[in-house]
Amino acid sequence: MTHVPSTSRGRFIGGAAAASAAAFGFPGILSAQSKQIVIGLNVPQSGPYSDQGLDQLRAYNLAIDQVNKSGGIMGLQVKASVGDDQTKADVAVQNAQNMIDRDGAVMITGGSSTGTAVAVSGLCQRKGSLFMATLTHGDDTTNQACHKHTFRRYNDAYMSSQALARTLISKYGTGTWFHITADYSWGWSVHDNLAAVVNPKGAKEIAYVKLKLGTTDFSAALSQAQAAKPDVLVLTEFGADMVNCLNQAATFGLTKSCKILVPLVDEYMAKGTKDNFTNVVSTAPFYWQYHEKSYNEAKTFVRAFYDRYKTYPSNGAECAYVNILVYKKAVERAQSTDPAKLIPILETMQWNLTKGPEHFRKEDHQGVNSVLVVEGLPEADRGEGGFAYAKVLEEHNGPGVMAPLDGLVCKMETA
Amino acid sequence: MVALSQALLNGLVLGLIYVAIAVGLTIVFGTLRLVNFAHGAFYAIGAYVGLVVAQQAGLWWGFLAAPIAVALFAVVLDRVLLRPFYGKDATSQILVTFGIALIVEETLRLIFGSTTQQYPMPAALTTSVSLGAFVYPAYRLLFAGFVIVMLVLVWLFIERTDYGLIVRAGVRDRTMVQLLGGNIRQASTIVFALGAAIAGLVGAAASPIYSIAPGTGFAFLVPSFVVVVVGGLGSFWGAVLGGILIGELQSLTTLVFAPGANVIIYLCMALVLLLRPQGLLGESEVIRQ
Repeated sequence: MTHVPSTSRGRFIGGAAAASAAAFGFPGILSAQSKQIVIGLNVPQSGPYSDQGLDQLRAYNLAIDQVNKSGGIMGLQVKASVGDDQTKADVAVQNAQNMIDRDGAVMITGGSSTGTAVAVSGLCQRKGSLFMATLTHGDDTTNQACHKHTFRRYNDAYMSSQALARTLISKYGTGTWFHITADYSWGWSVHDNLAAVVNPKGAKEIAYVKLKLGTTDFSAALSQAQAAKPDVLVLTEFGADMVNCLNQAATFGLTKSCKILVPLVDEYMAKGTKDNFTNVVSTAPFYWQYHEKSYNEAKTFVRAFYDRYKTYPSNGAECAYVNILVYKKAVERAQSTDPAKLIPILETMQWNLTKGPEHFRKEDHQGVNSVLVVEGLPEADRGEGGFAYAKVLEEHNGPGVMAPLDGLVCKMETA
Repeated sequence: MVALSQALLNGLVLGLIYVAIAVGLTIVFGTLRLVNFAHGAFYAIGAYVGLVVAQQAGLWWGFLAAPIAVALFAVVLDRVLLRPFYGKDATSQILVTFGIALIVEETLRLIFGSTTQQYPMPAALTTSVSLGAFVYPAYRLLFAGFVIVMLVLVWLFIERTDYGLIVRAGVRDRTMVQLLGGNIRQASTIVFALGAAIAGLVGAAASPIYSIAPGTGFAFLVPSFVVVVVGGLGSFWGAVLGGILIGELQSLTTLVFAPGANVIIYLCMALVLLLRPQGLLGESEVIRQ
């Protein structure tokens, strides 16, 4: 007798629901032992920001191996507990919790999204663990949602927008602007900052289309942009989303009909968009080719990275690398991994590594360092396997473009 | 007005992409009663096979190799693993096909790495075509035309061949087909391979539009399930109608209120389930089983 299913449609709908709910976390397992320092590396290894997450992981491993070879931190070897946050806030928080509770991580670092960074930041504050955020660009991380235990060295959206506007106001100040924006805290933060700078100068915003993180088909928004005929098209998208968005924009003829602005770029996005990134203006906190010319530590890092991986570090990787070195410096100065002793040191410490003298601002724990405004090169002119992707239009120093202290809404805890 | 007609055209093209993916899902469900979570994985395999072959031999060879490779993979899956699960309870089916999807995803990651990749669009097709008041990407139009041709071929297979007859009969009453001596086993294999081949072909053909990563399949799986539920289970025309409806809804919602574009498809699914639980073109017989 053949088995006949009772309600086939019900099963199918259940399937649809389960498909929507599919989510997994695979934090790496490394048990804590007493004579070592465990650091939690929480980066996206899958999902739209995985290129960025994987490159950070390369830099973390490089930094940790270098630190361990030169005697560790205070003589203790550094162990990594690695997790894939999938660019999802809940997965990121669960990973961080496991790293702290199960593996004994004393510091969490990583991230490729402001959404995950803000969530992990909240957890680390509750747990009393240090969080050194890496690739998060939205203002929230060190302003609206700032926390005592969180430090962010990467440029924020305010800095990028100020830098972009200062370089380009003569070219972009007027005309009509069309925004396609990733619909979460980072995208809103970039849009609001950019609008606040260029709108008073005479730029007219004609559309602000918000699309969810992980959108694959941008045609609906792009055909709208095509009909609107803007002077400037701002694509506030990151990682694979930006690659899809810009490549699709090119097929709609938009790279020819208007000036394209991508507020934040990295090496992988430029590579993925090939010639469509030509003449696109953007910002980056670090550009290996530019910085290795001026700073010895940058050169040492870039060459060590290249020797090991046969590829050049993206700007997120550089931030990951420096975070580990800064942490080592702070712990050795405090002679402790206790955040209560480390935080005052991180708030006042200066370092001079890949970008010249840097520090964290005490009031919001935002890294004070420079912003580059870059312009994409045609693919034929890019060297080094496509990694020499841009020319630097201008370097803005950190203090000159940072959010003024009196405008901060950050209410830092006392502990 | 230009914006509206542009949005309508765009919705149609977007919808056809959904139809292309959903049609494989729906014929496999209709015939085999299999809730196939691995359908997205077939899309991803097709995209990667297409990418590798296209890099070696050119885009068109990639389009040819992708469906063949995925169909062969599907035949092996059908013979070795899935056969005992046809018509079984949904939980076991979801577990086994989901497992396949995960294994495929991780294997692709192992071979190709997690880095997103994209096959560059042929230079001749990167242009836009003028349609009076506006221009539209040539490749998307070509893709839409290609989906229509493919749908016609699948429809002819279902309507005009003996296997198609068994498929159609199987949708209505699988047991009766077997009692009457229809070789539903062989037909099952062919249908499963066909569904997989379509997904593989679409994966390869869409890769100049969407970049690919090992997890790409899942991104398309969810809307395809929605399309099938809205259109009606196992119904070919249901998948066509559902896909175009979902595409148009998304495109038009983006025009009015972009953040709602993703919610609207689930809202639409909920409405269909409330008002017409068998789906827009679903056969009521399926429900009563």
